[in-house]
Amino acid sequence: MIHAASDEVLERLWYAAEEARAVTLPGDLRLDADGVDLNAVLDSLIAEGFVQFGPGYCLSPAGAKRARGIVRRHRLAEVLFTQAFGTNLRDAEVSACEMEHMLSESVVDRVCAFLGHPPVCPHGKPVPAGECCRIYSSSVQPLIRRATELPVGATATIAFIAPKTLSRIDRLAAFGIVPGSEIRLIARNPSCVIGCGSSSIALDDDIGREIYVRSVA
Amino acid sequence: MSQLAMNHCGSEQDDGKYAGRPLLLVGNPNVGKSLLFTRLTNTYVTVSNYPGTTVEMTTAVAEIGDEKRSIIDTPGINSLLPQSQDEIVARDLLLREKDIDVMQVGDIGNLRRTLLLTLQLSEYAVPFVVALNMADELRGMDAGPDVVALSQAVGVPFVSVSALRRWNIGKLKLALESACRGSMAVSYPRAVEEGIVAVRDALELHAPFIANRGVALAILAGDVTLRPLLTASCPASVLAKLDDLRAAVQSQLARPLSTLISHARVATVDELLATMQRKSASHVDGLRDRIGRLCMHSFYGIPILLGVLALAWLLVGKIGAGTLVDLMQKHVFEHGINPWTIRLIDWLAPFPHKHVVTGGVITAAYAGHASGFWGNVARTFHDLLVGPYGVVTMAITYAIAIVLPVVVTFFTFFGLLEDSGYLPRLAVILHRGFRKIGLNGKAVLPMVLGLGCDTMATLTTRILDSKKEATIVTLLLALGVPCSAQLGVILAMLAPLGITATLIWVMVTLATIVLAGWAASRVVPGEPGDFVLEIPPMRVPRLSNIAIKVAARTEWYLKEAVPLFIVGTLLLYGLDATGALKFIQRLLGPLIIGGLGLPAEATNAFVIGFLRRDYGAAGLYAMQRAGHLTPNQVVIALTVITLFIPCIANLLVMLKERGARMGWAIAGFIVVYSFGIGVVMNAAFKVLGVVL
Repeated sequence: MIHAASDEVLERLWYAAEEARAVTLPGDLRLDADGVDLNAVLDSLIAEGFVQFGPGYCLSPAGAKRARGIVRRHRLAEVLFTQAFGTNLRDAEVSACEMEHMLSESVVDRVCAFLGHPPVCPHGKPVPAGECCRIYSSSVQPLIRRATELPVGATATIAFIAPKTLSRIDRLAAFGIVPGSEIRLIARNPSCVIGCGSSSIALDDDIGREIYVRSVA
Repeated sequence: MSQLAMNHCGSEQDDGKYAGRPLLLVGNPNVGKSLLFTRLTNTYVTVSNYPGTTVEMTTAVAEIGDEKRSIIDTPGINSLLPQSQDEIVARDLLLREKDIDVMQVGDIGNLRRTLLLTLQLSEYAVPFVVALNMADELRGMDAGPDVVALSQAVGVPFVSVSALRRWNIGKLKLALESACRGSMAVSYPRAVEEGIVAVRDALELHAPFIANRGVALAILAGDVTLRPLLTASCPASVLAKLDDLRAAVQSQLARPLSTLISHARVATVDELLATMQRKSASHVDGLRDRIGRLCMHSFYGIPILLGVLALAWLLVGKIGAGTLVDLMQKHVFEHGINPWTIRLIDWLAPFPHKHVVTGGVITAAYAGHASGFWGNVARTFHDLLVGPYGVVTMAITYAIAIVLPVVVTFFTFFGLLEDSGYLPRLAVILHRGFRKIGLNGKAVLPMVLGLGCDTMATLTTRILDSKKEATIVTLLLALGVPCSAQLGVILAMLAPLGITATLIWVMVTLATIVLAGWAASRVVPGEPGDFVLEIPPMRVPRLSNIAIKVAARTEWYLKEAVPLFIVGTLLLYGLDATGALKFIQRLLGPLIIGGLGLPAEATNAFVIGFLRRDYGAAGLYAMQRAGHLTPNQVVIALTVITLFIPCIANLLVMLKERGARMGWAIAGFIVVYSFGIGVVMNAAFKVLGVVL
């Protein structure tokens, strides 16, 4: 619990720095402490060398590195829940708060790649870039994206289909549109048209967005 | 506008009257089932290049080998898990008929989809053969799939054919003799396989004829469309057991059963295709593909659409409603047939009278009196045929001289449109707009079809997935989409009035469609269906197909419309002779004269408009030509008759397809709305001082 509390404090200090806000008192962290003695947490963070106290509390380079990882996990989790799973923002945030404490770096990088190295979270705040983002920065090719987000003419393999109604799965399957199939985005406007095998199929944008594809390497 | 019109021999009427062992044609939409049907039976059914041309069963007899066998053409199905009404019809026929063979028709260029259905037919354990159609479309050196290997893999005969070019039709008939059950099978997870066995056991006692693997899988997949069939044949206990079985199987699986089943099928087909060693025919981007894409391009699609409309105007408006109507009416009828007939009847049934002669030509109007019994007989006979409400001078003249040229040119234009594959692309362009009125792009097909014939288009609403959309489209068709016959008369009437009058008519009609659709989408309960529409390749229309299609539809028009025209004329004659017409004119006077600002005579047009609104429009046209209507009056009368109920046939189909309550509700609304808008227009013209 103490571990989580110190993570929260580091995260808040990161936010404060992002907003160019000074933290001179524990209250400035804007953290709902809920019985935790923030002073004690701050003191131990200073002792561990993660936080410095100059004119106010701020992150040390080591603390900044840790905080950066926490914020990255938090915001990536928000993107994952809202965009890939369609969770509402409030639920996504609650779950993101839990996830920020637990994923290993390599898993986080995979989530990041899965989501296409998103630059911002659903709130519009920047997602701190990871090593994976720097590698891919030259060719920003997200691994998984919606079929409607493919460049027109591009081919990709269906990774999964997350439909609103189950009958859509059957309807699409009748055209051979199932995970593993290769599809081509023929047109995005005025309506989404995808090619699958020798068929061209016009789709609702809604349905097109429910088809997640992995670009063919 | 297909089977119902052409062949009144749907399976509904002659159940159990099949010749020989019936053969059911099934297949994906737009693979040429109907054309193959035509080739096998020499019976014409409408053939087009868009999915959903066939919405009814058609049966005809073909000679296969030494015997005569009934062949049944069915609407296209994407899978045996039906999603729309026409798919249910096809699937049910497959299950209900016990002694049938099936001929699956597939697109040779789209083996994957074909085999998906082949696989399901194997599971349904019906004897079948597969005709791989459109072999003529294989490009260049592509030899096409190895039919021998396919036959071996699936266990039924495969024949590559071209219905268009009549390739291998004989071979296909031969193959029919070795129709057999397919051996192609999917290995589903153990839980599913056990479920199949359990479901089949449960069905065996009460409904042995459907106790096959395919039905078992459909039940496991939760296919609700099977319910009627199951409740008819099984007691409630069995139904409950089936539900329990399904729940039990589902509980052992991580993914929804229907998803798992359909995905396993695709995987099996893909495996088979992989073993066929066919280089995945690399997609060659031909000129046709590029034209096809331009037609549904968000920018270039618009000028192309305008071009298509301009072509329609040129062909139907200029050539049809202009040149041809002029030729037929002036030269053939007014200067030819009518004077000759009048003289002939005058000679056959003489009574003292004198016809009005305009411009040196004798007309139906006359002055004179008959006396005595025989004089009155002669006069009645004379009036019935060549009087002002005469069968020849009114019904036949309207039907042949005014409406027919337009119907023929429209059907020609429409045939070009249908066969080119443009219509589904139009659906792509209009889809988002249609969403706003509670429809989706698929509804474009029946709506455009309505320009040909609203009655047939109302039947085509079956291709729509949701009841809500079918209801809205039915309303919009009856309300705002003028059929070709009527359109022709309208175009002919608007031509002398100029652009402002035309624009007013177009705007009021379009605004009505948009507003009525928008309002209906909020009033009619239910969710709009999903938009998933296959776009066929662009094809060059074949003149022979179009010629046959135009001939068939024209024949249908003559059979359908001319008798009603004659009935309408006789009705008018009767009403006139008995003095009832004067009474109706007085009764409707406040509405027609006061509300719409039209002459009392216009009542006649609206009376016959109840039978067919194109005939009503033709009546208005005659009034306009006689100089009895001002331009303002023409536009008001035209708008009212455009928005009026199309015809008796349309009303009947509406009642049949939508049910009596909804049907009458729509009809009532239309009558009130169409006259209401006319009253509003009349008032607006007066207040704004519009003089056209």
